[in-house]
Amino acid sequence: MSWQQVCTTGDVDEDELEEFEVGEITVLVANAGGEFFAYPPFCPHQETPLSLGMIDGDTLTCIKHLWQWNLKTGEMRDIAECPLLLYDVKVEDGAVLVNLAKELKYDYQ
Amino acid sequence: MKISVRTRGAPFVFDCAEGEKILQAGLRAGVGLPYECGSGTCGTCKAEMGEGEIDEGWAEAPGRTYVKSEKSEFLMCQASPRRDCTIGVRSKVEALPHEVPVPDAVGGRIKKVEPLTHDVCQVEVSIDKPLSFNAGQFMLVGAPAVAGQRAYSMAHYAATTGSLTFVIKQVPDGGFTDWLFAADRSGTELELFGPLGVATYAPALPNNLVCIAGGSGLAPMLSILDHAIQVGHFDTYTGDLFFGVRTERDIYLLDQLKEFAGKAPEKLAITVVLSDSPPTAGLAQAHPELRFDEGFVHESTMRHMAGRWENVMAYLAGPPPMVDATLRALVMEAKLTPTAIRYDKFS
Repeated sequence: MSWQQVCTTGDVDEDELEEFEVGEITVLVANAGGEFFAYPPFCPHQETPLSLGMIDGDTLTCIKHLWQWNLKTGEMRDIAECPLLLYDVKVEDGAVLVNLAKELKYDYQ
Repeated sequence: MKISVRTRGAPFVFDCAEGEKILQAGLRAGVGLPYECGSGTCGTCKAEMGEGEIDEGWAEAPGRTYVKSEKSEFLMCQASPRRDCTIGVRSKVEALPHEVPVPDAVGGRIKKVEPLTHDVCQVEVSIDKPLSFNAGQFMLVGAPAVAGQRAYSMAHYAATTGSLTFVIKQVPDGGFTDWLFAADRSGTELELFGPLGVATYAPALPNNLVCIAGGSGLAPMLSILDHAIQVGHFDTYTGDLFFGVRTERDIYLLDQLKEFAGKAPEKLAITVVLSDSPPTAGLAQAHPELRFDEGFVHESTMRHMAGRWENVMAYLAGPPPMVDATLRALVMEAKLTPTAIRYDKFS
């Protein structure tokens, strides 16, 4: 598998996060002000579902311990101790395509 | 028995007595092992078994949903060693910082149980040796008749004390609270461990305080405000306490709240927020020192704090849905940074 359609742009409301299953892989898609990003579904800290996270501008915050990242780059902010992993994403004709050539995992998985 | 811990940083070795929980043995030795509830719920203290053998303890601990048995994971707060063990922890572990009181096991005895509402009581416990704790911390409390220990916050502050006061809410199917509420338990011996928890107040804190509590989450806020009032925190900074309960009959310790408000007039505002029914006019008339509001406690907090979020340290405690809703509001609406929010995540 490489580029796979995960959802359409209408499936995720602005500044929201939704999980999608593609085969065996669960992908978390963020719609940040109309731009789309994709991540593994858990916080790199303790496997908390990041679908419960919060988007504010370009900051993503996990609800459990408030780890924060730049949601466009995965770069850590404030008290986070691990960066966020991102899949490559492209949008074509309203379809959100994610490069799933390799499933991204954190080392606790 | 010897416990050797591999971590993402330096390794640690400490002794663990027979029957003692590995988490408690480590903390007692000053090793900052990861934990939050310390009582089998949150899953934060999970570790991987290497060499050795353990007794996993409380089989029904809710936090077991977070452990993967195929990876030999277990909860350090529940497990005791059967022989020397080597275990792995997937986080940075450091020695406990000097300003934190080192927790230890301490015996105690219930002095007095006083009902505060239909399902909340105040429990006074005398302990066998004096304890120092930071305002906002909690103890693990266990009774011989009940499996496992539960986490309860101190509802007062004293630099060193031989007597602890807890506020305990009866929970449905709660083994400990079913036992506590079933009869007069005065005189019962207890096993305690602590102090624990990082959502604490220190007098040097240069911030306005905002305390947000739901139900029995008021206890740690009483401790924080008690200490802050003792050291004159509100001579310089403001304080706001928002205490959320469902209905008028769930309100407790109004007299203590009024006493607090009276000690820092104009600077400390206390708001009692009812989620299920509007406060009656009589309530506000009877307690003019306090403010009464309607709605969810995080909504009331946002209304009353609007435009006042500069230089704030926010503390929160309460049932998980209340904590999550409040965290969301503090991050998304109040725009507080994570370092300006203190809480112990118990679930």
